[in-house]
Amino acid sequence: MRLTLRALISHGRVARKMGLGPESRINMLRNILTGLVRHERIETTMARADEVRFYAEKLIDYAKRGDTDEKAMKMASFWLTEKDLVPKLFSVLAPRFETQSNGYTRMARLPNRENLDRAKMAVLEYKGNPFPPLYPVKKDNELTLINQLLRGYREDRAQQLATKA
Amino acid sequence: MSLRLTSLPSTGFASAAAAAAARPSAAEVRSQRNAVFSREQARQRALYPRIEKIEVSMQGPGLDGTLLVMNRGMSTPLSCARHLTEYHVNNSVLALVDGEPWPLHQPLTDSCSMTLLTFKDSDPTLANQAYWRSCAALLGQVLQTAFKDDYNVELLSTPEVPVTSGAFCCDVALDPQLDSWTPSEESLRSLTKGAQQLIHKDLPWEPLEVAPSVGAGGLLTQQVALRSSDRLLVCFFSLQYKQEEVEEKAAQHPKGRVTLYRCGDHVLLSAGPLVARTGLCSQYEVTALHSLGQGPWGLHRRAQGLSLPLQLQAHHTVWRKLRQRAEKLSRKVCVPLSAPPCRTQQKRVYKSSDAWAGASSQAGCRRRGSMSPVCLQLALKTRPPTLQTDASTPL
Repeated sequence: MRLTLRALISHGRVARKMGLGPESRINMLRNILTGLVRHERIETTMARADEVRFYAEKLIDYAKRGDTDEKAMKMASFWLTEKDLVPKLFSVLAPRFETQSNGYTRMARLPNRENLDRAKMAVLEYKGNPFPPLYPVKKDNELTLINQLLRGYREDRAQQLATKA
Repeated sequence: MSLRLTSLPSTGFASAAAAAAARPSAAEVRSQRNAVFSREQARQRALYPRIEKIEVSMQGPGLDGTLLVMNRGMSTPLSCARHLTEYHVNNSVLALVDGEPWPLHQPLTDSCSMTLLTFKDSDPTLANQAYWRSCAALLGQVLQTAFKDDYNVELLSTPEVPVTSGAFCCDVALDPQLDSWTPSEESLRSLTKGAQQLIHKDLPWEPLEVAPSVGAGGLLTQQVALRSSDRLLVCFFSLQYKQEEVEEKAAQHPKGRVTLYRCGDHVLLSAGPLVARTGLCSQYEVTALHSLGQGPWGLHRRAQGLSLPLQLQAHHTVWRKLRQRAEKLSRKVCVPLSAPPCRTQQKRVYKSSDAWAGASSQAGCRRRGSMSPVCLQLALKTRPPTLQTDASTPL
């Protein structure tokens, strides 16, 4: 569901054809999205993950309206096939993303599947989950030797500029 | 040389003239200190004739709950690291034994909990300080061996500077013959080269804790010191100021002991723990040799340098900026701006490094270079320091 050049010239048909037809596609995506809300990080093929991502973000947008909102509750009960996840969506995920307006999910490529089809694989996750990070965290330590030296240098420069001005 | 000695305060010397006459060469002094160090080290090792076991519980990322059974008075933190991984052996700078900084080569005496410190810890302040101190010690060692044997080099007490000041320094009093010598770019480069050779050799800094009682009393002549060598610290304090330094440091230490370090054949006294080995340094440069003016030991000079460890190397543009900063006379302890160029023959009284507090006069110090009659080729040895170290014969 990305606006690429290919999507632009596809005469409005921006969704991938998956499964046995449009209804089957929606049902498949519902099941995947339910899994995503339950586990907060899932592994699936890249095309499905990319497809689900749009609905996953949209669902959070609806959930932010609050559980008293009729439309929000309708969307939640449609997209979550397991109804015990509805309270989780409204009381855990919606408050988590209150400060953000978009970009609630993160997707990362995995090695291609090892079986016959060699499908492209991917990981999809909601941000702020309790699992170890997908990418190594960049450690920024102000106290290391070189950073201390550079701090001294910067302070020196600031002082010089101040005396000059 | 005799001129310099007669200017010393005569207290504490049996007779200055006799001492001057019998004064051994630098290489002899070095080998004597070395021999005394070895003997004391052997004596301390012999204190544990039976192998007794101690338990060392390791702390640190991925090591919690590790219990090592080591030998009392024989195993060092480094041997603990050798039981872990190569990473721990190569990257450990210092150990923290029961919360106290502990040199990596110092034998453990009791069951303890231990943390190995690296430069990339979340709080590497202790390691940084130790590294800065070690680089200053290395600079002192280079200065000691860089000059020809005819020139006498006295290392003064090293001022402790914080890392943020940008350069480590080492105070030195050169031979009076070199008073008019101003170091050029090439001479600094050859000093850097000497340091790089030491770094390449990857020498350990071996610590040795000694009681200062002998150090304070037993200077006199080397012969006396050697004879009472069982407890002693050392002929190496042949100068009054070293004595004072020893007493001062012993007073600071809770048990009233001082720690000597040996790197190669150079024995030195350090204010705090040093890092494990010279090979931890990677980028190393001697950036400046400033004059501080006349002090009680002749013309005091301050050598400055900049160094970074192997794990934290700087890009050359960053290094150049840091290097330019390291050329300035260190801010914490420098000459007042109002003072005339440092090499004037004014007599001034210097008590401590605080006497120089004030603005720097680095410009004055560096611009005086044009009229130096003694050039580098004359002062510095033409042969590399490696030959020099080989020449010293152990007793």
